[in-house]
Parts: sequence; C-alpha cells; structure tokens
Amino acid sequence: MERTGIQQSRPTGGQRARFNVLRWSVYAAALLVVIAWAFILLDGNSGFGDLFRERTWQNAGGFIASLAGQGSDGPSPFVQAARWRDTGRLALNTLAMSILAMGIAGAGALVLLMPGARNVSDGTLGGAPSRTGALVYGAVRILYTLTRAIPELVWAMLIVFFLSPGIIPGALALGIHNLGIVGRLTSEVVENLDPAPARALRAAGASSPKVLLYGVFPQALPMFLTFLMYRWEVVIRTTVVVGFLNAGGLGREFRLRMSWFHYEDVALLLVWYLLLVIAVDILSAQLRRRVRWD
Amino acid sequence: MSAVRPVRTGEQVATPEPLITIKSAAKVYGNNRGLSPLNLAIHAGERVALVGPSGSGKTTLLRLLAGALVPDEGPNSVSINGKSPANLKPGRELASLVGIVSQRFDLVPHLPVMHNVLAGRLGHWSLARSILSLVWPMERRAAQQALARVGIADKINERPGRLSGGEQQRVAIARMMMQSPLVVLADEPVASLDPARAEEGMALLVGLVHSDLGHANGDGRSSERALIASLHTASLIRRHFTRVVGLRDSRVHFDLPAGELDDAVLDELYDLGDGYGDVEPLAGLAARDG
Repeated sequence: MERTGIQQSRPTGGQRARFNVLRWSVYAAALLVVIAWAFILLDGNSGFGDLFRERTWQNAGGFIASLAGQGSDGPSPFVQAARWRDTGRLALNTLAMSILAMGIAGAGALVLLMPGARNVSDGTLGGAPSRTGALVYGAVRILYTLTRAIPELVWAMLIVFFLSPGIIPGALALGIHNLGIVGRLTSEVVENLDPAPARALRAAGASSPKVLLYGVFPQALPMFLTFLMYRWEVVIRTTVVVGFLNAGGLGREFRLRMSWFHYEDVALLLVWYLLLVIAVDILSAQLRRRVRWD
Repeated sequence: MSAVRPVRTGEQVATPEPLITIKSAAKVYGNNRGLSPLNLAIHAGERVALVGPSGSGKTTLLRLLAGALVPDEGPNSVSINGKSPANLKPGRELASLVGIVSQRFDLVPHLPVMHNVLAGRLGHWSLARSILSLVWPMERRAAQQALARVGIADKINERPGRLSGGEQQRVAIARMMMQSPLVVLADEPVASLDPARAEEGMALLVGLVHSDLGHANGDGRSSERALIASLHTASLIRRHFTRVVGLRDSRVHFDLPAGELDDAVLDELYDLGDGYGDVEPLAGLAARDG
C-alpha cells in the first residue's frame, strides 16, 4: 500500500502530483488514527478506561460541588467582603506581574530590534556593513533563541532560586521568555521593510543612526506594540502557572488553597482569574486597534 | 531620421565655470552598460530635462550625480561646484550640494507628514537634535511654511500612507525645500500623476531652483541652483525647462534648448526601429510608466 503510494505520487505533471499527495495524506491520516486508537485501547495502563468508570464521574461531581461550597463549614467566602478584597489584591498583584513582565520584554526588544535585524547589521538600510554589526547581530539572535527556547516556568524555577519569592521573580521569568519572542518577531518586521524610504533619507544627508531613527523605527513601532499586546494576553494566563512557584499573585494562593482543600476559595480565585483574563483581552484589543496606523 | 543629430548646447548662462561637470563618466553593471562615457556641462540657473527610452541611462546618470553610484573612472569624473558627490559622506555638505526626488517619492509611511518634511534637515542637524525633533519638532514653522507653499498645509499631521500620489509628491518637494540643495535631481517625478497634477508638480519642482520663494531659508541662491529631471512629456519640457538632453543607448543623442524640442525629435529618439514609429510614442510611454 505504501509502495504504490510512492509510485503514484511520483510527479508526472504539476497538477497530478499535487492531487496524489493530497489523497495519500488522507489515507495516511486515517491509518494513523486507527493505529493510535489501537495503541490506546490495547495498552492497559493508558488510563483511558478511567474515563468510563462511574467512580471518576462521581469524583468530578464531588469536586465541582465542593467548589460551589458544598460540605464546607462556616460562611462562604463569596459573601465575605474581606475575602473579595484580599483576593482582589492578589489579582492586582498578578496584573502588576504581567505588566512588569511586558515592560521587561518590551524594553529589551525595543533596544535589540534593530541590531537583531539582518538588513540593519549588513548595512542595507543604512551605513556600511561592519564586523561589529555582524557580531552583534549574531549575539542578539542567540539571545533571542536562548530566552525563547527555555519556557517561562523553567526560568521562574531558576530565578526563584536566588531571588526572594514575590512578583519580581515571576515578572522576570515571564519577561525574559517573552523578550525572545517579541524581539524576534519585531526584528523580522524590520527585515521585511521597504528599504526605499531609508535610502531616500540617506540621500537627504542623514547618517546611519538618523536613517534608523526616522526611516526604520517609526515603521516597526506599530507592529512591535501589536506583538507586545498579543503576548500580554498570553502572559496574563501564564502568570498563574508561574505563581505556583511561590512567585506570588493568584497562582501562589491557588496552589495553597488547593493543598488546604479550601475549594470555595479556589472557586473565588478562579472568578478573579477569569475577570482578569477577560479585562486584559478587551484592553489589549483596544490598544492594538489604536496603534494600527494606516 | 536615423542619423545622429549634431550635438548642440542649450542656452548658456553667462557663467564662466559650469556648476556641474561630467567628464567621460561611465557605468557598467556586469554585462549591461548603464552609461557610456559621457560628457556634460550644466551651468547654474539651467533646468535640464533628460529624455530617452527606458534603459537609456537616465536613472544611472541621476544616481551618479546624487553620489549614490561611483563612476567606473572614479568619483572625480563627476563634479558639482568643484566637489565629487561620491566622495562625500552623508551629512551637511552632501545634503546642501545635491538632493533627489524619486518617482515613488519614498516617504516614510508611518511617520507624520511634518517629520517627513523635517527629514530634509537631517543632513544639517546633529544626532541629538534629530532625536529631540521626533518629540518636540524643531523648525516646525519652516516645515509649516514649506507645506503651505506646496498647498497642503492642512495635511501636516497626516500619515503619508493616507495621502494621494499628488499629495505625496508635494510632501517630497517640501522635504526638498527643507534640504535646500544646490542641484535638485528628479527621477520621473510626474510619471505616476495625471496631467493636471503633473503640471502642478512640475511647477513646484521648478520653483525649487527658480525662485527664492521655493526655499525654506530664502537665501538668495536661486540663480546658483540647477534642476535636472527625467521625464517624457514634450509639452512639460517646453514649458518648464531651459534645455533638453536626449539619451539613447546610454549616449547623448541630442542636446537642445527646450524650446526647440518638437515631436519629430522625440519620435526619432523613441523610435523602436521596426515599424512602431507611427505609434504616438509619448502617449504609450507615459501610460506604461504610470
């Protein structure tokens, strides 16, 4: 079956070869589904069977009930103003952590976006190619890859090692990881810019720094801010995960309440978390609309 | 008709030294000849139109004059006011010597019109002043005046991406006013404009070198300036230029006072040589370039 597939998809003409690739992809996908399911069902330890056990569903129901306050003693935290205030403060901490993280990522990417772009370092947009430019370009690209490749959770684990717990290590971890992402995306925006306006400025007598300042920077800025806002939406979700590692905010409290079996408090934290995510999504969308020039 | 016309010089201004001297400057790109060895002298006060079919060397000549290309014989075969543009670093000296308006105007799309106009001063400003100007615009009044002169004072806070082609050209001309060079070069400046906008645009370009009103500082140097523009429209050339140089196969084909340019001369210059001679050449070229 496989062999005939290869023979059939051998390109005889552009149209026909493409058609065959598509058809055999569908066959291959179907085969993969069958093998994958066979693997799950034949392996006793996959845990898949648990999904169909009554016990599992009873446990899930019990957990949801306790989130809603069943079986807890004392008044529900949902009716205590003090609990709302305390958890609200944690939510603010989480928001502060995300903003601080974007500040770190944004400031770093802003400084690096031009040395990290190939057309700036090789002189296409202004100035002559230089060894220093090439070296800095390489170093910035390695930095982008390194910071991006290591997940924020791992950065947080490392940083909490030598910084006292709180929102600073969390923000630092998120900031470093996102620096790599935002920086690389923005540098690629610069690499795709039309070089003609920059050349016109050069012809008007502008030196390389001035060409970059007037011809490159204003063009890259809107996309840079857009990327930053998109990442903010992601970061506000990740703050909770990073918070698990004693990094403060809603995440830390969430973990503590879970381990104390205070399920109603967990539910309250989830409500705050949802409000926060929705608010940041709306705000980010608004800001992105603002910066979309032309 | 195919005989090469005798080369004649245009109106000579009574200046002993030419402002621009090109001595056997040539440029070869790989196997393509951008420009054959070419001699040309242009005096202050002259407005020279370059005509010729695509690939005849007009753009190469303009880029050599702008210092963007180095002639094959070395930078010294092009001289403007005693200096070789290709020898000068970007900065005050080059900026006040020569400036170029391109066909696409090449404005920075996201930068407000005011800063695009002020960018003409970048060659004159220090780096600190250039940075500061992005926050608190320097010479704001001069930029306003330049935009008022080209008739789009109300667009000062717009972004060039939202302007029409004619308005973008006006911004580019206002930028050139701020730069205020001795020699203004223009590469098909009106090719993308309709006839009415082309007429207005050409008048504004001529104003850059022809009257003191055209300049931000009104420094009384108008009689010292020169304009060199490539274009294809005979009527515009007769109205706005003093001299016309026809290029063909990267050589000077004719060199006439602009008033003597008639359609027969242009027909011959643009003649494709295999039966296309009867086609109205200018209409065809203008449409394609637009």
